[in-house]
Amino acid sequence: MKPSLQTSFPVLVLLVTLLSSTSVYAAKVTLDSSSWGSEEGKACVDCHSKSSAGLTHQWKNSAHALANVNCLDCHQAYEDDVDAIEHEGSVIATIVSPKDCGRCHVQEFKQQKGSVHTQALSIIKNRMPALSEHFGSPSINDAGCAKCHGSEVKVRGDGTLDPASWPNSGIGRINPDGSVGSCSACHGRHKFSKAQARQPQACIYCHSGPDSPDKSIYESSKHGMMYEANKAEMNLDSDQWMVGKDYSAAPTCVTCHMGAAGKMKSTHDVGMRDSWNLNSAVSEKQYLVIFEDGDKRELSASEPVPRRGESISKMDGSMAKVKAVASPKRRRGAMSKVCLECHSKGFANNAMLQFDNVVELYNEKYGKPAQAIMQEMYSDNLLTPLPFDEPLEVTYWNLFHASGTMARHGAAMGSPSMTWKGMSELGSDFYGKFLAQIREVAGKDKGEALIKKHINSSEHHDWLNHPGKANPILGFGQGKGNED
Amino acid sequence: MKIRLPLPAFITRHVLFALLIGGIAGIGFILFLIEFDHYTSSEEFCTTCHSMEIVADPYRQSKHYKPDSGVRASCGDCHVSEGVISATWDHFIGGKDVINQVKGALVGPDYDDPVINALHLPEAAFAARQWFKKRDSATCKKCHVKEAIYGTRPGTRQIHLEDAKDKSCIECHYNLVHRKVPHEKTFKRTAWNEMIEVEFGLEKGTAKKLMAENK
Repeated sequence: MKPSLQTSFPVLVLLVTLLSSTSVYAAKVTLDSSSWGSEEGKACVDCHSKSSAGLTHQWKNSAHALANVNCLDCHQAYEDDVDAIEHEGSVIATIVSPKDCGRCHVQEFKQQKGSVHTQALSIIKNRMPALSEHFGSPSINDAGCAKCHGSEVKVRGDGTLDPASWPNSGIGRINPDGSVGSCSACHGRHKFSKAQARQPQACIYCHSGPDSPDKSIYESSKHGMMYEANKAEMNLDSDQWMVGKDYSAAPTCVTCHMGAAGKMKSTHDVGMRDSWNLNSAVSEKQYLVIFEDGDKRELSASEPVPRRGESISKMDGSMAKVKAVASPKRRRGAMSKVCLECHSKGFANNAMLQFDNVVELYNEKYGKPAQAIMQEMYSDNLLTPLPFDEPLEVTYWNLFHASGTMARHGAAMGSPSMTWKGMSELGSDFYGKFLAQIREVAGKDKGEALIKKHINSSEHHDWLNHPGKANPILGFGQGKGNED
Repeated sequence: MKIRLPLPAFITRHVLFALLIGGIAGIGFILFLIEFDHYTSSEEFCTTCHSMEIVADPYRQSKHYKPDSGVRASCGDCHVSEGVISATWDHFIGGKDVINQVKGALVGPDYDDPVINALHLPEAAFAARQWFKKRDSATCKKCHVKEAIYGTRPGTRQIHLEDAKDKSCIECHYNLVHRKVPHEKTFKRTAWNEMIEVEFGLEKGTAKKLMAENK
């Protein structure tokens, strides 16, 4: 039975409500305006316009200032709060967490809660030090990794914030109040501009570089090309920002991953429309499990689909009851809805098929065999359990985490050059380094046996079985110059 | 020869002698107090108690000890009021610290122990801040004049003249010299204890036990 058919009717209704809606407008603040504009907070700017004029200037030009939301409305704290400090007679907290923002921005808080963004730290917390500390030191973690993934902010006994964990606006930040995430990751303080967050720059801040080369991918895609050429027509400041209605010049990251399109509402759950995991050693399609408490988790589609009311483990290991499950197909459907605002159904489906084919190709040709060989080498104690102390492990890591990610992301977001760059680097590292290092570590015989078992037997690598077949590409062999 | 002064009859020679001796003694006493207050306000005197060495350590790293200008504030410059009467009174009240120090050495709490010292520091800080507040930061103002605070940022003088017009120095400027202690309003004993435990490599819960033992 198809997993998505196991979903009961009420769950389907809920999902339809979650993934699409009759309203096309972004969520409005429904709180009464008497809930903000703190009397005590009106005086803050008197001092701050002198002591930190830039910060105050940003706020003065913000939608918050226009609506009379002042410093204390966001920074207010209770004396008992872990990170509360006394400041010029008021009790405040330096960190404004999503929970604080969520007092007014209820919808956005709810949507971002439990999203992959908020799990940017928690899901790799145990794994991250192996990379950051083996290749760097804790200081690179604080100034690099955690700046995007988020830090676990520590409040010291003297009330100060541990400088290793603050300043930090990483999107998976674990805040002193227990909430997770950081709104200022995309909506830079103290203007919190929505126009700024709608631009690719907001995402590129983190989604660039070897682990997530989306900057280069977007820039070398048709979408990015059109954005660069038509920036002025993006209508970024518009209150409502629906593709096809308020703008059509180009889609940004937000358009496809979060944006309102047709009857589908915008969302602050950025990963909701992603049907694949594109960063793992082997890509898998994934369910989005929504728990009764609003938390969420990704679940590999190879796992049995959880039923509503069933208790399964959350990402942090605790058990919780399932409220709804979105199948990969449904998630793909949501993403494709955006495509249809500008493209025909056939066009969109074919583009998705081309993307899926690259992911399958990566999985079958490189991901799975490489993983199987590594697994066997660990089982046979040919490799130490410590990651990265053998060059082979570094090569393997780069295969899936760098070039493999580049190829898969490139295909997902329509960058031919980056798709090929990723695939070409995969090939170079796989045939040029990985296979040689296997022979080196496992010994010639065992190495050869492993390669024969996992590589030569695969149709993807069958070309290796025909060493006599010449080609003029390198300037040698039969047929040299024939194609000219 | 007898010198007769136009004095009332009850001022006898004996009375005159008494006045003269009393006067000299009085002047001597006041001079003694001035010298006493002066000496007992010095870093040298204060740190004769080891517990004060612990408190003085961060002071020696502070701007009040190592200012750009070379003007050093000693313990008493901040913690002892001006004028011989007030200064003497402050030292009289401060005498309880000496009693506590001696008592501590005999029956505890031993403030010379860095752990005990750090655990009890917040209450001492709160008391000191209150002392400053009560006196409208009088000892700060011996040296600092609001109108003359220019700072390094353009807004500093303006802030002091406008926004901080009715404020006392200590309301904003605490945690300047000694180890940082949160404001009494937001102070959390558990968090403080945990920090001290980690700092001194103590087992969890030790701080609470130590505090209870040394009530």
